[in-house]
Amino acid sequence: MTKLKLALYWASSCGGCEIAVLDTNEKILDVVAIADIVLWPVAVDFKYHHIEAMPDSAIDVCLFNGAIRSSEHEKVAKLLRAKSKVMAAFGSCACFGGIPSLGNLTNRAEIFHTVYEEAPSNENPSRTVPKTATTVDGHHLELPETYDTVMTLEQVVPVEYFIPGCPPTVDLILKVVSALANNSLPPPGTVIASDKSLCEECYRKKEDKKITRVWRPHQIVPDPEKCLLEQGVICCGPATRGGCGALCIKANMPCEGCFGPPAGVLDQGAKLVSAIASIYQASGEEDVSRMLDEIVDPVGRFYRFGLAHSLLRRKRMTPPGTLSAAKQPLAEVTAR
Amino acid sequence: MPLLKKMLAQLGVEDERVRLDWVSASEGDRFASIVNEMTAQIKALGPFHRNNGG
Repeated sequence: MTKLKLALYWASSCGGCEIAVLDTNEKILDVVAIADIVLWPVAVDFKYHHIEAMPDSAIDVCLFNGAIRSSEHEKVAKLLRAKSKVMAAFGSCACFGGIPSLGNLTNRAEIFHTVYEEAPSNENPSRTVPKTATTVDGHHLELPETYDTVMTLEQVVPVEYFIPGCPPTVDLILKVVSALANNSLPPPGTVIASDKSLCEECYRKKEDKKITRVWRPHQIVPDPEKCLLEQGVICCGPATRGGCGALCIKANMPCEGCFGPPAGVLDQGAKLVSAIASIYQASGEEDVSRMLDEIVDPVGRFYRFGLAHSLLRRKRMTPPGTLSAAKQPLAEVTAR
Repeated sequence: MPLLKKMLAQLGVEDERVRLDWVSASEGDRFASIVNEMTAQIKALGPFHRNNGG
């Protein structure tokens, strides 16, 4: 049997997805037995020009992790798409934008300002921020352009499979490897996980979904047998795809939502707001304002791994002072 | 609703774009006036453009 050609790539990611591949331990040898790795920047020394030199569709499968946040990410995503028969979004960042897409609550200018000018650990009197090109001693240097908006892989190139998780679990990775080995990949468009919500595979006792306050995980030690939501801990299980084996739940921590929305759910955060609203017992304005105080950061909580994949995708940026356009004189509003 | 509004504010969506009201089937006039108010308010805000952050 001719060996498969496999590419692995990281875009805007933390490297955890790479560790997850290595976490397959000795099973990684099964991967090498069926496939030749043609690109894997973290572990193997092949360069972009090696890929560019290949004919189109020469690579059988590309496992692409990380969100798209710079011109380099986009360029390599398009290159690997052209050279690969099958493109798989590997991990929450490639599937839904992941943690990096919380950067969509701001933009490049604000991020550069915080990181390069404001950060207390910086000494930057000349206020230097990254540029896409500069000349030093007659040498022309170029850097990729950082984008204002973080995107999912599918927002840039067509994708056949989605392997969610932060990072994908070893079980899911081995499922993919064995499907590759047996040439039994599911139909394109499949999310390699469960179709149901995490709650459906959760072993905890669910009795009465009514809460009178919300606890953040550091404020309470929850009962390990009872549903976390019923104990007032925001658990993303109702709006999150199952298939992870409830790993966080078993460690007595709430689901953070890294598997993204289950089949049929369009917007994970909106679904979670609806879930919390339907169980929170508020009998007056006072209760409602207390609940708002308890849920400190709704976007960060409900879209932690998927702001880029949500209906709105990002914060709508408006110049300071114009956030509520209705408060402006009518003439100005119609002129916009 | 207040939770949804808190979240939408984080995402830069104006408060005036979202409203929840309860109207009984017998309150035809009230229904019409709420719809008219909302329509006028949205027209004043103009179309919702999802910008690219720049």
